[in-house]
Amino acid sequence: MNHPSLSAFLLTRLRDGLIVLFLVTLVIFVLGHVIGDPAGLMAPVDASEQEIARLRRQLGLDRPFTEQFATYFGSLLRGDFGQSLWQDRPALTVVLEALPATVLLTLVGLVFAGLGGSTLGVLAGARPESALDRSANFLSITALSVPNFWLGLLLIVIFAVNLGALPTSGFASWQSLILPAGALAIIHGARVFQLVRSATFEEMTKPYTLVARSKGLPERLILWKHILRNTAVTMMTTIGWEYVRMMGGAAFAIEVVFAWPGIGQLMINAASRQDFPVLQAAVIIAGAFVVVTNGVVDLLYRVLDARIRAA
Amino acid sequence: MGKWSDGVIEYWSNAFKPHYSITPVFQRFLSLGLLIWVGYLLAVTLFALTGSDLAPYDPTAQQVLARLLPPFSSSSRGFHWLGTDQLGRDLMSNMIAGARLTLFIGLVSNMIGMAVGVVLGMIAGYYGGTLDRLVMRLSEAQTAMPMFLVAIFFLTVLGPTVLNVVIILPTLIWPSFARLVRAETLRLRSALFVEAAVATGATDWSVLWSNILPNMAPRIMVLTVIELGHVMLAEAGLSFLGVGVQPPATTWGLLIARGRAYLAVAWWLAIMPGVMLGLTVLALNMLSRRFAATSGSAA
Repeated sequence: MNHPSLSAFLLTRLRDGLIVLFLVTLVIFVLGHVIGDPAGLMAPVDASEQEIARLRRQLGLDRPFTEQFATYFGSLLRGDFGQSLWQDRPALTVVLEALPATVLLTLVGLVFAGLGGSTLGVLAGARPESALDRSANFLSITALSVPNFWLGLLLIVIFAVNLGALPTSGFASWQSLILPAGALAIIHGARVFQLVRSATFEEMTKPYTLVARSKGLPERLILWKHILRNTAVTMMTTIGWEYVRMMGGAAFAIEVVFAWPGIGQLMINAASRQDFPVLQAAVIIAGAFVVVTNGVVDLLYRVLDARIRAA
Repeated sequence: MGKWSDGVIEYWSNAFKPHYSITPVFQRFLSLGLLIWVGYLLAVTLFALTGSDLAPYDPTAQQVLARLLPPFSSSSRGFHWLGTDQLGRDLMSNMIAGARLTLFIGLVSNMIGMAVGVVLGMIAGYYGGTLDRLVMRLSEAQTAMPMFLVAIFFLTVLGPTVLNVVIILPTLIWPSFARLVRAETLRLRSALFVEAAVATGATDWSVLWSNILPNMAPRIMVLTVIELGHVMLAEAGLSFLGVGVQPPATTWGLLIARGRAYLAVAWWLAIMPGVMLGLTVLALNMLSRRFAATSGSAA
């Protein structure tokens, strides 16, 4: 195998990431400006044909496609995502204000998903077909089969409505974080569990495990030292992928369920008010997160796996 | 090489044979378990085909005096297995009626996504070169995009109609089909029987259709079953967020969304449709696992 140097790899990843982001903006632009009708949506309900046509000219919508896209892309590069139609503030500001709440929720959810999923995955993978393996496996398949927002609603019914123990909506104290982050941790932890379990199981069958066992190493040591070290790469990349999934939309439905003041909630509010600048900014910012996370995961993969690093 | 369906029939008949590694006691239990899941899916399919004919009551019939009845209670109309909603409509009848659109959207989107992925994957794997790079780059770029968010944007701009939902959902799943099919096509392209077919002068089309496709049909089927679950969950998500199918149409996702407002007083309205959807996706996942185990490959 011939692996390029780290700097060449970073440059390639950066280029690919920028291409993806460019494609996201292109898709958003085509959908919003070409297929959709911004002038018709922005004009007052009682506007006449001529008024809409004038607005169209003002917005530059009568220009050729490439020119319009160049203007649009240029202003995005300058950080100008347009004015929010609903709040009458720059769309980027509105989105960036909602960003910390989303990052907090997803990171807390990710930490618990990673810890829980990995621990259970190693334990279950080490004892295939045991009671723990069977039950954890079934539970994880079940968790991956239900809609995540439904799981959020179920947690509300159990912990808030019936037990009256935890707050269900908004962002009042750290306790408000428990249920939404818990719902995220269960669903995403289930997928981490599945992959770590099969990775551990695979390592268990490899010759070095047999050698370690035959020279009398305690099972605990084999599992938590040798095998864990070899599954660490799978673990890290899996957890990274789960973050991509969360920022790619999975966490947003959970935000809506718990009225969490993050990007997801903002997007749905903007969608119901036809506030396209905010919607666009939210998709592009979340897209940037997805692209960056993808890059970081690839980088981690290279740095962690000595076989790739050494080559 | 026979018709492409031969492989499929053989595959499915094998899928229901007991798995070799399971002890005899569990064998019967697991086969029974599998039959229960198949039975559940058949029931849901039956609901979808018959619409509300099998429902105990007219799903739209309101009853002011029997509002928000909990499960297992009776009204003047009769027994309500899963209770009633805020207008006194029978929840179970609504869930049965909702099976049709839920399954329709799921199946159609799944089939479109599969067809696109299989065709592009076969072209990429068989012809290689520029076509291959183009298809693979496209699928990579799309996998790296937050497609669910793009879907929300798409549906907000173009309107939340069933047609638009069915247009956007396949974009979420075709890359996984394309990747699988490309890898399989690459593997099979150099197989002896394919070379023999090419040597006897078979056209590309006939090699792809009657030599390569049948040999990867089982794997495609496993993935199709898995992705059907994914698509159904995505549809429910879009409906729940209010950018999917709109009322008065009914899907399970919409029923969950509608029940959400009554969570504190009538939990069953939001929870029960989710149970039905969850069981459907769980059944699909169980079947796909069983099939993957039977064909001796993890999908």
